[in-house]
Amino acid sequence: MPVEIGKSWADDVEELEDQGIEETVDDEGVRTVTQITTNEDGKKVKIVRKFRRVEKRTLVNHQVAERKTWAKFGAEKNSKPGPNKATTTVGENVTLKIHPGSKAAETEQQEQVKNPLAGKKVKCRLCQGEHFTTKCPYREVLQSVGIEDVNPDDVPPAGAAAAQPGAKYVPPHRTGGGESMTRTRDDLPTLRVTNVSEDATDDDLRDLFSRFGRVHRVYIGRDRETGQGKGYAFVSFEDRAVAERAMQKVHGMGYDNLILNCQWSQPREARPAPA
Amino acid sequence: MRPILLQGHERSLTQIKYNVDGDLIFSCSKDHRINVWYSHNGERLGTYDGHNGTIWTVDVDSESRFLVSGSADNMMKLWEVKTGKCLFTWEFPTAIKRVAFSDDDSLIACITEQRMGHQGAVRVFPVNRNGTGTEQTQEPLSMFHPIESKATVLTFGTTSDQIITGHESGKITLYKTKTGDEVVSNKRAHREVVTDIQMSPDRSYFITSSKDKSAKLFEAKTLDELKSYVTETPLNSAAIAPKRPYILLGGGQEAMNVTTTSLRQGKFETRFWHKVFEEEVGRVKGHFGPINTIAVHPAGTSYASGGEDGFIRVHHFDDSYFRARPYGDLEPEED
Repeated sequence: MPVEIGKSWADDVEELEDQGIEETVDDEGVRTVTQITTNEDGKKVKIVRKFRRVEKRTLVNHQVAERKTWAKFGAEKNSKPGPNKATTTVGENVTLKIHPGSKAAETEQQEQVKNPLAGKKVKCRLCQGEHFTTKCPYREVLQSVGIEDVNPDDVPPAGAAAAQPGAKYVPPHRTGGGESMTRTRDDLPTLRVTNVSEDATDDDLRDLFSRFGRVHRVYIGRDRETGQGKGYAFVSFEDRAVAERAMQKVHGMGYDNLILNCQWSQPREARPAPA
Repeated sequence: MRPILLQGHERSLTQIKYNVDGDLIFSCSKDHRINVWYSHNGERLGTYDGHNGTIWTVDVDSESRFLVSGSADNMMKLWEVKTGKCLFTWEFPTAIKRVAFSDDDSLIACITEQRMGHQGAVRVFPVNRNGTGTEQTQEPLSMFHPIESKATVLTFGTTSDQIITGHESGKITLYKTKTGDEVVSNKRAHREVVTDIQMSPDRSYFITSSKDKSAKLFEAKTLDELKSYVTETPLNSAAIAPKRPYILLGGGQEAMNVTTTSLRQGKFETRFWHKVFEEEVGRVKGHFGPINTIAVHPAGTSYASGGEDGFIRVHHFDDSYFRARPYGDLEPEED
């Protein structure tokens, strides 16, 4: 197509686009606007929009009617009458349902979020009374017999059974202690500790749990990218009795401003599928 | 209902006003520009250019002839509504935070900010409506300094010889326009800064909103608390819907904290509360940031909200809004 002299190539493109728009009005007043454009992939696209214009008549007073004829000024000077698409658009439909009590439902939900303990009984971890542990009147007395009283001497050394004089030799794997070639990780008595501080390290937890006996392995769940703790850990003991005692003592214990939660770790197969 | 989105501002909105007939919407923003729009279709009629700072406030007289604006460039300007011409400029030592026309169009009241060794002040100027409007006086009719806490918002009271101010400390005070004498004060109106004050259509009571997450209705003569609407976010604006017994509240989390939470948590919705039963009855969402200002059409047929996101959304109420009787027969009769 020969380009006319004195005409910008930009105008040329616009003209081509304009050609694609067709507007028809049928008997019922439905306007059909058909637009044929080329999309980013270079394919021709036909866009059909159908709409009906509804005239709304309102009676206004003279001042208002007069103001509608005012000339535009400022940034809108010399603009065409009618809304400018650059500044005025129509948004998505929004609904306003007027009904009572929308607040009540909301606040109830809020309350639940705010106080998840509401309705639950407060139980002291020390004396089992109906108050918070920190408010416990027997705190001073009972706490001293708590976690701190674990005496390293009470902890039976691994393979103690085997070391008892006069007893028959029992292979370590039969005593429940010790480690054997055939034992896998899952066979070890493992505790799942949750609500662990993000900053806790393997060594911190090892320190904590080795008071009760020999700790085979400590694993802290960490975020793959940031390496920050996810708040749970697995602690494997060598002896089931030790693990049980550790669980009883550590469950509900305060650690780094958080209350630890300690349970038997479920083997992977037995764990219920995540919801 | 389908809102009309007005995108005439590049920065957050500071105030929106309807004129008395409700056919024009005036909006001002931090981008140094005042826009005027036709409310029925969202068409922009023009802009008022001349300020060189954040425009905090606008007000229009009852004839839609004069517009007054206050800005952070320490100027208050009088504009001709029809042409966008600046008619007169008042200069002050500090920014102008709030302006208001009196009901009879004879006075303009303004609040100047407390800053740089200057006390916050309320000044009242007479308006010369004769001629072109370019001959105004620089000399205020009266000027007074609110004590204790600086004033943040103001409006003329039931009549133009009274001015009601809202303060940073949360108190509201009624002053005599001519002398600046304090008539009555309610120190416990709010616990934090008062962010908006709007009179009822008959000017017998008014609503205030505050950062203390509540909005309250007060009697305009005694400043007695009539009703209280307690929400869960700081409020930036409150408006009284004429014809229907509703209150419109806008707010949301502080702009500076917005990026730290999701849209849902931010609660950037316009809330509708029942004026009498003090219960929330509905919400309209749409803004991407806190709502800074809300204005309702004087006939109660539409409302406009302006947000920190720079958008104005004009909503024309559906029939269902006018038909709804959320409390059945308990519904109070409105004018």
